[in-house]
Amino acid sequence: MYHCQRYFCISIAFALLFLSSCIEDKNFAEPLPENVNFNFHVRPILVQNCYLCHGPDPSGRKADLRLDTFEGATAVLKEGGHAIVPGKPSKSQLVYRIFHEEEDQVMPPPESNYKLTAREKALLEKWIDQGAEWKEHWAFIPPNTSIPTSNNNAIDSLLDVRLLQKQLIKSPEADKYSLIRRVSYVLTGLPPSPSDIEYFIVDDSPRAYEKMVDAYLNSPAFGERWARHWMDLVRYAETKGHEFDYSIVGIWRYRDYLIRAFNEDVPYNQLVKEHLAGDLLDSVRFDSETKIAESPIGTAFFAMAEGTHSPVDIKKDEADRIDNMIDVTSKTFQGLTVSCARCHDHKFDPILTADYYSMYGLMESTRFTPIAAEQSIETEKSVKEIEDVKAYMLKLISDKWDEKEIVQNDLIPKEEVAADTTYQIIGDFRNADLDGWKSNGTAFGRRTTLGDPIIEKSSGKLLRLDEGRASSKLFGKRIFGSLQSQNFILDKDFIGIRARGEKSTIRLVIDNFQLIQNPIYGELEIPVNNGQWQNHVIDVTPWKGHKAYIEILPGGYQSHKYQLPEDAYVEAQYAITYNSPWPTEVKAQNESAPKQDWARLKRSASQIQEINNSLQTGKLPTSFPELKSTLDSTEQLAKKLTNSSFYYGITDGFGIDSPIFNRGNHQELSEEKVSRSFLSALPQGGVPFETNGSGRMEFANALLASENPLTSRVMVNRIWHHLFGRGIVETVDNFGLQGKLPSHPKLLDYLAIKFQKEDWSIKNLVRSIVMTDAFKRSTLRTEELIEADPTTIYLASFPVRRLEAEAIRDGILVASESLNDSLYGPPVATYLTHFMQGRGRPAVSGPLDGNGRRSIYLEVRRNFLEPMMTTFDRPIPFSTFGKRDVTNVPAQSLIIMNDPFVARQAEIMAKKVLDDRELSFDERISWIYIRTFSRPPTVEELSKAKEFIAMLQKMETSSDTETDKELELWKQYCHSIFNLKEFIYLI
Amino acid sequence: MQRPLSRREMLGICQGGFGALAFTGLFGALPFGCKRPKNLAASNELYLGPHYLPKAKNVIFLYMDGGVSQVDSFDPKPRLTAENGEDPRKKFKVDATQFDNVGKILKSPWEFKQYGECGMPVSELFPHIATCADDIALIRSLTSKFPEHTNANYFLHTGSGIQGRPSMGSWMTYGLGSENKNIPGYVVLDGGLIPPGGLDNFKNGFLPASYQASILKAGVEPVANITPREGIPKLQEEKLRFIEEMDQSLMGKMGEVDAVESAISNYELAYKMQSSIPELTEFSEETKATKKLYGFDSDDPHTRGYAAQCLLARRLVERGVRFIELTCPKVEADRWDQHNNLKDGHERNAHAVDQPIAGLLKDLKSRGMLEETLVVWTGEFGRTPFAQGADGRDHNPSACSMWMAGAGIKGGTIFGRTDDYGYRVIENEVTIHDLHATIMHLLGINHELLTFRFGGRDIRLTDVHGHIVKDILA
Repeated sequence: MYHCQRYFCISIAFALLFLSSCIEDKNFAEPLPENVNFNFHVRPILVQNCYLCHGPDPSGRKADLRLDTFEGATAVLKEGGHAIVPGKPSKSQLVYRIFHEEEDQVMPPPESNYKLTAREKALLEKWIDQGAEWKEHWAFIPPNTSIPTSNNNAIDSLLDVRLLQKQLIKSPEADKYSLIRRVSYVLTGLPPSPSDIEYFIVDDSPRAYEKMVDAYLNSPAFGERWARHWMDLVRYAETKGHEFDYSIVGIWRYRDYLIRAFNEDVPYNQLVKEHLAGDLLDSVRFDSETKIAESPIGTAFFAMAEGTHSPVDIKKDEADRIDNMIDVTSKTFQGLTVSCARCHDHKFDPILTADYYSMYGLMESTRFTPIAAEQSIETEKSVKEIEDVKAYMLKLISDKWDEKEIVQNDLIPKEEVAADTTYQIIGDFRNADLDGWKSNGTAFGRRTTLGDPIIEKSSGKLLRLDEGRASSKLFGKRIFGSLQSQNFILDKDFIGIRARGEKSTIRLVIDNFQLIQNPIYGELEIPVNNGQWQNHVIDVTPWKGHKAYIEILPGGYQSHKYQLPEDAYVEAQYAITYNSPWPTEVKAQNESAPKQDWARLKRSASQIQEINNSLQTGKLPTSFPELKSTLDSTEQLAKKLTNSSFYYGITDGFGIDSPIFNRGNHQELSEEKVSRSFLSALPQGGVPFETNGSGRMEFANALLASENPLTSRVMVNRIWHHLFGRGIVETVDNFGLQGKLPSHPKLLDYLAIKFQKEDWSIKNLVRSIVMTDAFKRSTLRTEELIEADPTTIYLASFPVRRLEAEAIRDGILVASESLNDSLYGPPVATYLTHFMQGRGRPAVSGPLDGNGRRSIYLEVRRNFLEPMMTTFDRPIPFSTFGKRDVTNVPAQSLIIMNDPFVARQAEIMAKKVLDDRELSFDERISWIYIRTFSRPPTVEELSKAKEFIAMLQKMETSSDTETDKELELWKQYCHSIFNLKEFIYLI
Repeated sequence: MQRPLSRREMLGICQGGFGALAFTGLFGALPFGCKRPKNLAASNELYLGPHYLPKAKNVIFLYMDGGVSQVDSFDPKPRLTAENGEDPRKKFKVDATQFDNVGKILKSPWEFKQYGECGMPVSELFPHIATCADDIALIRSLTSKFPEHTNANYFLHTGSGIQGRPSMGSWMTYGLGSENKNIPGYVVLDGGLIPPGGLDNFKNGFLPASYQASILKAGVEPVANITPREGIPKLQEEKLRFIEEMDQSLMGKMGEVDAVESAISNYELAYKMQSSIPELTEFSEETKATKKLYGFDSDDPHTRGYAAQCLLARRLVERGVRFIELTCPKVEADRWDQHNNLKDGHERNAHAVDQPIAGLLKDLKSRGMLEETLVVWTGEFGRTPFAQGADGRDHNPSACSMWMAGAGIKGGTIFGRTDDYGYRVIENEVTIHDLHATIMHLLGINHELLTFRFGGRDIRLTDVHGHIVKDILA
């Protein structure tokens, strides 16, 4: 039936074609615009129908013609003539070809499956006739507005312009019950409490609405709601998926970080900076209450990618992980799909393969690591104090020593180490510095132990000055830190590390691969569990040619969860790479150092050796009783540095520029490398970053530059999307050429500028939008309105929407008064049904009701996702999802009808409503209605409830006692109420 | 001028989907001039049926989790017997394997015999399947890109080695809709082993959640939340009546809101599913002979278990379920993943599935259903012709044997060739993308045209690859 209709349509379209090519005469359903706008009328046609063969990607380009630039479109064609001659449609080949009737001439060619409508053809022709004006893609033009951002009425007036154009009659303001339910759910994800409703209803002051809005903006639940929105963007998950679904340690701290950030209204530009480079900021943001360092937690979203153990092709594995990081980063912050340029230049957007690999370098230079959760304002202070005390000790000692006795000659010359070609030093810690290795966290400090005075605690006697080694107990034990080498290419058979320690680990990280275990990779992780110096060896013959770095850390990974036992420590003298056998002697690379400087950190191993010799022969005084107390104070200070909990995050490595992978193949690399830089099509783009690190900080700065046309627009659009259920740009994650055009471009620009001017305050913007008339409009629509604006895109009425998965579950918990509204903390373990099977299944199931916690606190295990959440369209966490699907499937009905969680909450609710024996029948129904629909029942609803319950009463039940029976009745009623559409829709 | 269809009309048509055509007797005979509307899929509108004449209506995907050894099942290699115990590295270049414990060349512990008119060689592992040789198109040249289970599973199921992409069953139901309103279009029969990579093998990825698999599991409640909690059926009916009444009165107040209306009609569907699903697993109407054919009377409990799954698959096909996947039973050895103890493990696995699968093929055939049903049998990769350790075989993505039977398949065909050791494909390689393209082709879907826009790209199950394996088509 349908197909016949379609065929009929097509015939008509064909018939129309033969009529005339005089476009202006045609009667289109929507008349052609007076002035054809390139961005809004023409480019969408070109993108959709032409760019696959005539777009920016040269690899697939046909006939050497590109229609994505003015130059390309007006250039001389191979067969002569021009595709477009501005002002002259009759001379433009494009017009000739799109109107052609021959199958082998017409464009687009029939086999492409693309076909222009008569209106599209007419638009193209008229545009050329009007001069074929070319404009940059709208999203790349910086936003501009003439309206002052202080104008409170601006949003409504901008919406009104379109409403007026369309001659749409606005719906009246919604009633107060609907308003408070709407504001409460949209701002906090929870229904309003009965007392809030009452307060708002009786408050007839002009500021009642405003006060209500502010109350929800300031509710801690606001942060929970908006954090969850953000978590969709960064594919938030607490496990790594794949075969065994390993945990991502402590990643819930990132969730809590978001909640705090949204509640405290941390400016968006700060949030962005912290996400991209929070570990590199000069001024760290600390939590006002706990003093915990907030900024670095933002970067944890990078570490939330999936991960597999034992990939045979480790380089490909790295490429896939980085691809995901690029994908998420570019979509989330710029609304651009950079990962489309992995194999070839972007088919539609001005994003080059070179852009992709310049971002690739950024990610490749970034390393994964556990991070101590206790890092706080105190940490750095205590470290500094300990260092000061140590310097003071040295000064005390050196002051007492006769300078002449020490300074026999000024300079100990740099010792020439005979070239031994059988090995190469990767790191030598027998001198004062860490030899260019990176010290993460606190444990290894900023230098080795060389020259530290060793004092007998009881007497204060100086025994000797310490020899040099990197030590994780530089300040004491139970302090987290890791020591990481620079990147190097594996070119010899073995890696050797001379080390000692307890319950600690040396890891060789190849191609940034972290899930080290058997099969294949087990030997890349060596336990260090011996207090005596030992030579630890890793055979790297299978991985020659790969890039790698060495990581030394106290404690280690158990099932990929980092743990730091109390007595763990690790120390190392040096690391080498060699072909067997282990070299007979690895000579220290002695540096020259002025001898009298030994107490000022500029020491060399041989210098300390000589001093120690002098000490032993009694040439120097050794009694320093005054040092006893200083030892105590360093010990006390070190206690402040201890760590016991961790989250998985990132740290900066050493800058690597990536080659281009030809056609995305990691085995086919370009000769030249691409400098790390910002996206070339955007302001500040394409300029190589000057940094030895990853360049993430520079990337963040460019992204936040005031002239960047996307950063602000993308975020205000996300906020609009969450408030109205639909973005001004509907494709919230894609502002590129394939994205949808903004429905209200001027409004989008206005909001983008306002957002920036008002210090990127998310709450301010939310407030401004929620305060508009448009937001307050009723969802009720007249027949005419339904006809004229079926999708409510012009917002003459408020769009009806289904609540999100979390809001439905949380709403049920609120209704039954079972919601545990405590904030933060480790996730509640997933409730496992018997359908949730497979490797990595937790041994124990979590509670059915998730301990009554809000859904945001339920564990997100990639391989065991909560069925209720996914069924109600919470996205599967693998990429950025700024816009959730809203599906309608029987499984959703089945959950509310039959899931034990819902039934149980209905029972609890029934108990609560019966608890108050004083309540009349009508009052009971009202009690339930207020908690589920945020309004009192109507007279009709009361009588229907009465009928229903009376009918149930007549039915036989298995209940023995009257009380049981009454409870059963009300349980069935409450359960039915949860099943009403009004409960899961915002109406 | 005709007005465009309203959303509601679209909805009505789409729900019928493929089925609407079938019921009106138009199945397989599309009206002249009926072409797929331009870019419909690209714009993420629902897709309205096949691109061209389909051979298959349904797919039964028999997943041999872990990787069956090709040289021990369908690809005999006398040279392995001749060179048994020799060092493979002296014979050919050995790729890195996941366990890197390369042993000696290992001959097959099983004898091969030729079966059927086509003379297809099949090992002793599959005496029952062997009797269906003339219905089977054997492909000896399937390759994967991944030697690890998880990536290979994702690749086989979703066309990408990375987690989170839509499963092929999701693509098929997205492309064709379901024929039965009361049963989901994509069903996974969980035989006991969920493959490594977990339920994400069956998920909808970026496609709407409506296209995810429903997991059906033997037991009291075969599908999640399918059992009413009310105890008394009448009670639920009364509640639903009340709910319907209240919802309708809301609609009366609100006027036309498609989404809410659909949510209301959803309840009816859900209600019907409650009875249609349990009815599926009710085998009492099946004859003794049928049950025997599948292996219900086997001594091996795993054979009996898998027999029930296979019979259930047929019953799902009868009810118009589009895509059915069977996961493996949990035998006393591991899945087909015999890193050691090949003989014991493969024999246990084979014994569990051999008779039920043969029973399924024969039953489908005798009922005339095999003509419209495509049966696909494959693992995620093959195994090495040399031993892992002494008596196992490691993963081998470079060669894998698989077969298809039924709708549109040229029975008795052998396609593709491996080298003398069965280690690598040397002729007519079939990639996973090719496999997907071929399955889709048989369902009437052009794999290059079924797309969904995500992240700025119109994405296909076959990515930018895939060729139809024409030689095995009837």
